[in-house]
Amino acid sequence: MTPAGRTRTRLVLRDLSATAAFASIVLSGSVPAWALVAYGLALLTSLLGRRPLTGRPTVSVILLLLTAVVLFGASFRGMIDLVVAACTFAGLVTSHRLLSEPTSGTDQQVHLTSLLMLAGGAALTGELWYGLCLSAFAVTSSISLGLSVIEPEGGSSEQLEVRPLVRSISAGTLIALLGAMGFFVLFPRLSWNIASRRTPPGLLGGTTGMSDSVRLGGAGDIKSSPRAVARVKVRPDPGSARLDAYFPGRSFDVFDGREWRGTGKAKPSRQMVRLVKELPRKTVSQSIELLPGYGSRTLLGLEHPVTFTAGSALTATGVTRTAFTEVPDEEVRIDQASNGYSYSVSSAPELQRETLEDAERYQRLPDALDPRVKALADQVLGAETRPLASATALQRYLQREYAYTLELGGDVADPLADFLFVRKAGHCEHFATALTVLLRTRKIPARVTAGFFGGERVGSAYVLRAGDAHAWTQVFVDGRGWVTVDATPASGRGNQPPRLLAWLASTYERLEDWWRARVVDYSFQDQVDIARSLVSPPREASSSRWSLPALPGLWPTLAALAAAIAVYGAVQRGWGARRGKRHAATGFLEQIEARLDRAGIARLPGEPLEELTARLSQIAHPIAPALSRATRAYLLARFGNQSLPATERAALLQALVRRDAPSSLTPSHP
Amino acid sequence: MWQRLRAFFKWRAPRTLKVTRSGRTFLVVTVGVGLGALNTGNNLLYLILGLLLSLIVASGLLSERSLRDVQVKRLLPDAAHAGEPFALRYLVTRREGWGFALTLRELGVGLKGHAFVPMVSAAEPVTVRAQMVAERRGPLALTEVEVSTIFPFGLFSKTRRVELDELLLVFPRRGFACIEPDAAQGAPAGDGGNPRRRDGTGDLLGLRELSEGEDARRVHWIKSATLGKLLKVEREREERRQFVLKVAGSLDPASLELRCEEVAALTRRLLSQGHEVGLDTGGQRIRPGGGPGHERRVLSALAWVGFDAPLREGGSEARR
Repeated sequence: MTPAGRTRTRLVLRDLSATAAFASIVLSGSVPAWALVAYGLALLTSLLGRRPLTGRPTVSVILLLLTAVVLFGASFRGMIDLVVAACTFAGLVTSHRLLSEPTSGTDQQVHLTSLLMLAGGAALTGELWYGLCLSAFAVTSSISLGLSVIEPEGGSSEQLEVRPLVRSISAGTLIALLGAMGFFVLFPRLSWNIASRRTPPGLLGGTTGMSDSVRLGGAGDIKSSPRAVARVKVRPDPGSARLDAYFPGRSFDVFDGREWRGTGKAKPSRQMVRLVKELPRKTVSQSIELLPGYGSRTLLGLEHPVTFTAGSALTATGVTRTAFTEVPDEEVRIDQASNGYSYSVSSAPELQRETLEDAERYQRLPDALDPRVKALADQVLGAETRPLASATALQRYLQREYAYTLELGGDVADPLADFLFVRKAGHCEHFATALTVLLRTRKIPARVTAGFFGGERVGSAYVLRAGDAHAWTQVFVDGRGWVTVDATPASGRGNQPPRLLAWLASTYERLEDWWRARVVDYSFQDQVDIARSLVSPPREASSSRWSLPALPGLWPTLAALAAAIAVYGAVQRGWGARRGKRHAATGFLEQIEARLDRAGIARLPGEPLEELTARLSQIAHPIAPALSRATRAYLLARFGNQSLPATERAALLQALVRRDAPSSLTPSHP
Repeated sequence: MWQRLRAFFKWRAPRTLKVTRSGRTFLVVTVGVGLGALNTGNNLLYLILGLLLSLIVASGLLSERSLRDVQVKRLLPDAAHAGEPFALRYLVTRREGWGFALTLRELGVGLKGHAFVPMVSAAEPVTVRAQMVAERRGPLALTEVEVSTIFPFGLFSKTRRVELDELLLVFPRRGFACIEPDAAQGAPAGDGGNPRRRDGTGDLLGLRELSEGEDARRVHWIKSATLGKLLKVEREREERRQFVLKVAGSLDPASLELRCEEVAALTRRLLSQGHEVGLDTGGQRIRPGGGPGHERRVLSALAWVGFDAPLREGGSEARR
């Protein structure tokens, strides 16, 4: 590789290592957008080989001072967290250095600030991506540093083969990564294991849209996002791969023709919320973790939640206890706004409730309701007046006559009429609204409930994804309370991402779960457990805490990968051994012979190269001078212990090709 | 017992390790991350700490691999003058594997300079040139070559010593002679004196008219007859004289150095003028002679003036 090529590669790797470090803080979602844009532009400029800040120290100082004042001023005024400000400043210093003259000092500064960013990123994020960023940084910065140490002071004009260097450094980096894992596992945790600062919503923000209202209409497609928004541990554990259960979040009672709203009045906040006077005998406990992607304070729980306890918010300063606020018959929400929450909830399969005090609230219809809606309800139900039977009849009708689609119909004046009589296709909110309004036209109390439907087993918990967000109808049945009736066709409930995306998301979730359990929340107790397991074998082999997550197709893939690596290694070893027995100059001799063959020059049986050269020189063959030089170089390399650099070797071989040799040369008889 | 103690204190570690400037920064960051991890219990900080510490270990392993099999052979220069750069070459080979970022230095004999080998493999030995400067004149005993590397990350400089005994004679510093030599021996100025020298030496340079008082034996008779006037043959070196330069052994060190440099400069000047130069250092006498080989003999003798044994590590020369 030429010196210019080496420098370019070194700088690109340096830039990539800095970017991996910057990504570790960007993934937390805390970095201001302007800083992100500034870094991106600097990286692009640097990758294009432009260094506009070279030789401009005054501009550099002013820029850095300006960013320091802006960032730390914002931090002082409480607009931005100090750690985020420091990490962002390190990122901007890095971007500044990327645009400066690429000296060894600049490289060292870039690597140093990158390390600081990684340390800051450890405080800001705990996601699996951080581990990938750390590994990427280790690999790219190691090779970049390795390429810089082989450059002498003042530069070099020498061409070098860098592959052995990269191989050697890659081996070193692998050793370092394995050593890091060993150190991580074995080094005793001497301090309290406070979980790292949980990630803010991240670049994607909250995705569920669990808002104060459900609005029909809009244009475009509903995206079926596989992003995990909640983890639910259920006790007793049902053990099934999928839960396929309803997780109500918020109920709405008022519909104005376009939008559902809740009109409940909030009660004073409490540390524990009980929704019923008497607790049912049979309940299901759940520990729920609302992840940063959830983006709302409304709490979820399996149908029908009765108590909410032990609420805590994961803030930038750690875990803090927080209270709940109940809005009767509507929602329970957590008080403190935060990036993520955890709480416990108990649910009863069925809640007994004799009567509904304010039934009129759930029978109210929009003022401008299309008369065809009531006509449709009458047509479907006929003389049926029983709430549950009516709801079931309408549910069947809607599922039979209407299609499920994620395509939105656009903003129309009456979205319900548009769904029922024009498009005859819609998503869960259309179905839930239609069923609820149709029931209300018959004076049957009903409401729309938004929440999640699904639950996919990941490790010991069930994961709810953004695409599992759902809406359905609850109808009040005297003596039984609110009963769920879901008019949405079964195919339209829950998350429906493409198969590949689902597999990727599932794999990622399992790895993320493993990462959280084994790395982020690794504690002294885990170390004790490991020590115990070493002393005495585990009772159940399958319950090992350190086993990798059960990923579908993981082991065959790993086995195939290992086999491929083994075959590659064996081939390389065999090839290397075969080559190792030969002298380095032998290859050169073979190349000379190949060129002589191509030139039609045959050697006599047993004729050494030097004799052939002498013979050709005697007859003044055009190739003789070049062959003479090549022969001499070969003999010196083979028997004179002299080096034959690759460039010289190539030049000698090239000279052999250039000769205007006769098409053939018949050897004279010896 | 005493010998054992001496042997113990003479013991040297097979490798020495120095922290580079970037290595110091790296260590400071490592300590900072370690304190942060211990203070907060943040597992990701423990992970970074593990990585940083493992990088130090990996650095040690790779640098050892790079240094372990290196073999060095010194290729001494034809001439080395004090205070003047000269090329000292090294043939660097390996039995197996690769060596990276190797720096070669002479240990402790007042030679400044180093050679750098970016990479060397068993298949391709490398000859590398070091631009050395010897601080002072004299016979230098080159005993060890220091081979160091900052591979792989530039954080530490690991050094290995290769024992390699050789003698390098450093000639006196080149300069200008501000003194004139003592009176020439043998032939006096002009055409008189030793008849062997009257004809001058070297190739024919030209003919010129014979001046008054000049030796008639140098007349070119044929050309003179043709032109009708006496023409004298002129050769390249018309006035070749012999000088014996003296260096008194009783001078103090500074004066001795100065004298050696002056004598070296005079030698060069006189030889370039075609004269023959001899040397008398009290203990050693060199008969007058000419040519590059003779100059080298004189300079070698001058390099030894004041020394009984070569200069060794730590400057423990044996002066006469």
